Amino acid sequence: MPPVAPLDPTFELEGPLESATFPETLSARVVTPGDAPRLHGYDVEGDLARHYDPTDILFLSLTGELPPPEISAALRIALTFLAPVSIAHASVHAATLARLCGTTTSSTLGIAAIGLAEQARVLLDEHADLLAWLARPQGAPPEAYRAVNPDQRASGERLRRALVTAGLAVPDFVAGLKRDAALLCVLFRCGLTRVEQLEAAIVSARLPSAFAEALTETVVDFAHYPIKLPDYRYRETP
Amino acid sequence: MTPPRLGEETASAHWGWDEHRYFGHRVFAELTGSESLAGLMALSITGRRLPADLVGVLDDAAAALTLADPRIWPLKLTRVVASYGSMIPALCAGLLMEDEARIGPWAFLEAAKVLVEIHRELDGSLEPGRVRAAVEAHIRKHQFVWGFGTPFRPKDERLVAFKSCIERRGKQSLPYFRTMEAMADAVRELRHAEPNIGIALAATLLDMGLSPAQVGALVVALMQHMFFAHAVEGAAAERSLLRELPAEYVTYRGREARLSPLAARERAANGESTSKTKTAAE
Repeated sequence: MPPVAPLDPTFELEGPLESATFPETLSARVVTPGDAPRLHGYDVEGDLARHYDPTDILFLSLTGELPPPEISAALRIALTFLAPVSIAHASVHAATLARLCGTTTSSTLGIAAIGLAEQARVLLDEHADLLAWLARPQGAPPEAYRAVNPDQRASGERLRRALVTAGLAVPDFVAGLKRDAALLCVLFRCGLTRVEQLEAAIVSARLPSAFAEALTETVVDFAHYPIKLPDYRYRETP
Repeated sequence: MTPPRLGEETASAHWGWDEHRYFGHRVFAELTGSESLAGLMALSITGRRLPADLVGVLDDAAAALTLADPRIWPLKLTRVVASYGSMIPALCAGLLMEDEARIGPWAFLEAAKVLVEIHRELDGSLEPGRVRAAVEAHIRKHQFVWGFGTPFRPKDERLVAFKSCIERRGKQSLPYFRTMEAMADAVRELRHAEPNIGIALAATLLDMGLSPAQVGALVVALMQHMFFAHAVEGAAAERSLLRELPAEYVTYRGREARLSPLAARERAANGESTSKTKTAAE
């Protein structure tokens, strides 16, 4: 290696970032900075906290507007249906493993959030055709999302009944869809029409139950965790 | 009733009593003491050990990629999370940001895909007119060529350094590297954009036999050291400025102050005016 001159620590370094100009401040578009925050213009402490619940705040955050009462009610029902995720799902399983390994509470929460975000992304990818149909409905919903067995139909019926009990008009097709498809229809009809909004709403709904399941795991109780579920068979490739 | 046991196959690893397996190798007998960190990374991603000269190329690439100013966006993100004082969450946040991002390792994966597509299209020919036509067709379809463009400076200094390493190791005449050089002439002419290290490293890794997906994964590994630098230094800092910037460094550009419908109804019921709302600045 050829010799190089020693570094001079007093030398004023220059590079592309010294030459270019950039803004001097961050831009806030949703929450005002400081001790009296406003959310999309609404006074959080003096107004929203007195009149609205967390479902409304979620909707406001994601859409920029407060939901009318019937939308708020439908959203509350859909998010409640979405809330439980069992440990059979990778998102909760991962968070539980994090807890088992003894990591911090914040890292367990972060892992749950990553898992749930991935789960929601996959769900939305799998329902891309339904979302396209909802944006431009023509004819019946795509066949692939129709409920095909009694359990699926029963879940759709429970959703329909919950919405009707809350005094909401439910499109006929919703009850004939599989559970996830029906729930996405409700969220979409509520005004969460963009994939980012849907993904955020689903993760927000599920994080508490996923995290709660993880917290029930006993730290470093490795003997009681089914390490061989599934069992990995090692095969050497030639 | 006990359900049937579930199983999957893995080619990666097995935990033995006195010796472990890793991609067809005995960990202590074959890897310990003879394989470098870069070699282990390549083995983990490709499933095969690379010869020493190719592992040397990876080391050269990692060094040439070291553009780690904490003001650069992905590294800044790492420091922003590190401001809370924990190294690993900061590191994870930096790595997570790389997923499908327009800058960082994902750009290398995309550059590798472009190179594979154009290399296939050229079918071994580097005749300038044919290269130009292939690049032109790609630009028509995608409006953009991954691996080209050098923001804030006329050329990518990392590419200059990496190319000299490649030439020193005699790897500049391999097929994908030559295609990349031919493409560079065409893109320069058509888009006035210079190649960056993304396309050169992608070409080198494709010449090693990696797939574009493996290129992306390996570049994540080759760039990790910079994220470590900022996760470690950032987390060790005594209460970083970044944890909460003073309010005067934030400009509010959102909705004006307003009254919610329910608050307005309450005010109206109390006989108060509903037109008076505090401004966001108050």
